[in-house]
Formats: sequence, C-alpha cells, structure tokens
Amino acid sequence: MSEQTVTVSSAPAQPAAKPAARETRAPGTFGPRLVTGVAILGAWEFVVRALAPAYVAKPSTVVMAFPHVITDPAFLKATGATLAAVAEGLGIALVFGTIIGLLLGRSVMFERAIRHYVNGFYALPMIVVLPLFSLWFGYSGATRLATIIFAAVFSIILNVSDGARSVPREYMEVARSFRSSRLSTLFGIVLPSSMPYLLAGIRLAAGRALIGAVVAEFFLSVGGVGYYILYNSRSYHHAEAFVGVLLLAAFGVGFEVLVGWTTQRFMPWYRRGDRG
Amino acid sequence: MPGPGFRAPAFGRPRNDGLCQRGLPHLLTTYLRRHTPFWISILAGIAIWEIAGRSTSAAFMVPFSETVRQLWLFMWSREFIEQFLDSAELFLTGFVLALVVGAPLGLLFARVRALRVGVEPYIMILYATPMVALIPFILSMMGFGFAPKVLVVFLFAVFPVLYNTVEGARSIKPELIEVAKSYRSSEWALWREVMLPYTLPFIMTGVRQSIGRALVGMIAAEFFLSATGLGQLIMGASQNFDTAGVFASIFLIGLIGVGLMRLGLKIEQHFARWRQ
Repeated sequence: MSEQTVTVSSAPAQPAAKPAARETRAPGTFGPRLVTGVAILGAWEFVVRALAPAYVAKPSTVVMAFPHVITDPAFLKATGATLAAVAEGLGIALVFGTIIGLLLGRSVMFERAIRHYVNGFYALPMIVVLPLFSLWFGYSGATRLATIIFAAVFSIILNVSDGARSVPREYMEVARSFRSSRLSTLFGIVLPSSMPYLLAGIRLAAGRALIGAVVAEFFLSVGGVGYYILYNSRSYHHAEAFVGVLLLAAFGVGFEVLVGWTTQRFMPWYRRGDRG
Repeated sequence: MPGPGFRAPAFGRPRNDGLCQRGLPHLLTTYLRRHTPFWISILAGIAIWEIAGRSTSAAFMVPFSETVRQLWLFMWSREFIEQFLDSAELFLTGFVLALVVGAPLGLLFARVRALRVGVEPYIMILYATPMVALIPFILSMMGFGFAPKVLVVFLFAVFPVLYNTVEGARSIKPELIEVAKSYRSSEWALWREVMLPYTLPFIMTGVRQSIGRALVGMIAAEFFLSATGLGQLIMGASQNFDTAGVFASIFLIGLIGVGLMRLGLKIEQHFARWRQ
C-alpha cells in the first residue's frame, strides 16, 4: 500500500515516463512471482510423478536431499575445487585480458595485428578445445584451468578494448597537455574510464568460465561440482545431482547480482546496454 | 573515414569525383590500403603457427600446412559429409525451435503484464544457469536419440531470444498501442502490425547471441550424448591421438563459428536500421 502512495506522488514529476515508471515500481510484483513459482514447482512435481520414473528429480525429493547434500563433505570438497578453479582462471584471464584489451583499444598497430584472432577465438565454441587441451595437459585439473581461462579471457579482452576505445577525447587531451607518460595514461585514465566495460566483461566471462569448468569436469572426470552432478545422475541419484545444479545456478545469479550492484554503487555515472 | 563512395553523385562533390574517374585502379588501391593490415596479420599468424608446429612434437602441435592438408582430405570423404549434415540438421532444428518458441513467448510475456512480472525472475535465473549442467539428466531420462540433442541445443539457444524479445517488446511506446487500440485494432492485428515490427530488431540481437550459444550446445550435445557429427570428428581424432585430425576439426569448427558470427552480425545490422 505504501508503495502505491509513493508511485502516485512521484508520478506527476515526469509525465513522459509515467507508464514505464509505474510499471516497474508497481505494487504486488511479489504476488505474481510467488504464484508463478508455485505453479512451476507444482507442474514439475505433478508431471514427474505422473509420467517419469521414480528416480527423476522432483521438487519434493530435491528438498529432501538438500540438507544431507549440503553437509556432505564430498559435495563441499567438490564445490570448493570448482569454485577455486573458476576463481583462479578468472583471475588469470582478468589480468591478461585487461592488458591485452587496453593495448587493443589504444594501439592501432596492435589492433590490426590481433583483432581478427581475438574475434575468431571468441567465436570458437569454447568446448571444442577440450580434446586438444586434454592432449596437451592430460586428464587433470590443469586442463580444467586452461579451459576456464580460454572460455573467459576473450570476452574480457573484447569488452576492455571497447571501453578503452570509448574514453572521452578530452580526457586524453588533458593527459597529453600535462605530459602524462603513455603508461600512466593507460593505467591512470584509460583503465578507470573503461571500468564499467571491464565489469560487464567479467560478468560475461564468469558465466562462460562456469560453463567451461563444468564441461571440463564432465569431459575429464576431474573432481568438482560438474563431476558430482555427472556421477550422481549416472547412479540415479538425480535429486542429489540437482542440488549441484541449484548451486551452479545460485553462483551464476549471485555473480550477476554482485556485478550489477558494484556497477550501480561505484559507477552510478554509467549506463549501457548488454553485449552478447 | 570516407565511405567506399560508389554512390558518388557527379556534381558538386569533388571529394568523390576522383574515384569515379580513376575507376578500377583506384578501387584496387583503396582495397589494398584497407585490407593490407588484415592480410599481413593473417599471414603472420599462419607463419607463427607453421614454425611453432614444425619445432614441436607432432603429437603436441601440427603445423598449418599439415592441418589444411588434413582438412582437405577430410572434406572429400563421404563420412565427413554425412557428419557435417548431421550436425547441421541438429543445429538448425534446435535453433529454429528456439526461435519459434522464444519469440512468440517473449511477445506474450511483454503483452500480459501479470505473466511477465511472474516469470521474469525465473527467466533471469535460467539465463544465468549453465545449461550444460542439465546434460546428464537429459541423458539418463531421454537416452541417446536425436530428440535429447535437439533439446540441449534448444535450451542453449532459447533464452537469448526470449530475453531480448521481452526487453524489446517492453520498450514499445505505450502511445503506439493506445493509438492502435483507439482505432479498434484487433489483438491479432496489434501483434502483427505494431508489436512484431517494433520488436524485430531486438529479436535479431537475440538471434545473433543464440547462434553462438546454439553452436556450443550442438558440440556439447555431440560430446556428451551420442557422439555424432562434428563433435564426433574431434572426439574420434582425440581418442586416437590423431593431433592433425584434432587440429583440422577445431580449425573447421572455428571457421564455421566465425562465419555464423558474421552472418548473425549482418542479420542484426540489417534489422537494426529499423531502430531509430
């Protein structure tokens, strides 16, 4: 109710944007969401009970499995292994991606030399390199790490180079008139200015890194959440396996929210559309 | 940067005159000036690849010339053509299904507000979830046929279309719908004449993003469900430690990926002209 009063009182301030503003701030988004959620879960439960064999995951069995999976040391270890690998890979991809991206955005020579390769590798479905990486690094965690880096680095490069190219010209002119060195211009002006792009790149990269990690674990049978899901679903413990999926989903959504929040909190000056 | 200048009017535009008069040789030099860096960079890349391949073990890396030779041998074998068509069928079926389901559903969500508010968070969650994690479940429930693989491609591809369509349809100016309504437009006409044309550029952004994801889904399905198509080519080569075969198939998939990406961009740009 109080939300409604707020909407009404703020409405005359910007009549042009009225419908959109009313829509996003309208009361009762919670009700429909709850109803839809319950409907989805109910339909899932019903369909699985009516049509599928008993081992198939349904909401009730997933909820039952949840407490003992989440306290299972094997599951915690698998989660730790995957998240550590993703964090390490993202960190490495971030460092190299940022440096290459800045160079790509600010140096014409460099751009001409490697732009096509970056685009080409970005277009390559990241999982096709798995067989090659497994030949190179063996069936081990190193291959998973390499896959994560490969999956993550190109979206960071592309986003940072976009950001570096869109630095306002006045900034660069001021830097030049103060005789700033190339290096300090790059890290003192270009990098902070392209920070929102970097964050958008990290968001994309995190999603891709997660996919890379899971696929690598499927492929290599290296311990982790992906392998946990694979192993449990093969032994018909679907409910347990599904808890792993929920964890991955939570991680994906959590990262999305974190990046969104960081952008709004620390870069309120910035608005931008998504990039695929 | 001046455009190609083919449309140069004859009078009063001295800037473009030269091009028309000098004709072919001038076109050649503009072509060269624009594309020389590209070809230099490509040739340098090939040279590095060749040298790296020759100076390491053949099990580790294969030079460019060997890769191309292998690819050439591949391409005329009957097996390859069958595998290629198999993959193409999978890709197209899943992708078209994603488009046919995602776009109308997106329009519906945008039109019916209660529905949209209800499903929006769940779409976001599914969009951020790594879909590969569902492959083991699909495998154990649906087996090895064509249908489960199509489902994987569909799941990979549908969310970008759905998401972008909802975003696009939400941004339709309410005035447009109000005018259509006040002229007593039927619901069907409203969809066909207002919503679809307005949303099409956004749908095409979704299509571009989907193309890349559908390709990943295709390879993932071929890796982890039944091994067929291009995925099988890589897997087979990798299991036989046939590094040349691995390189040739990855190179081929890379070319396909770049080609599809460019096609997606072309489609998107073609429709982006509608967006003012």
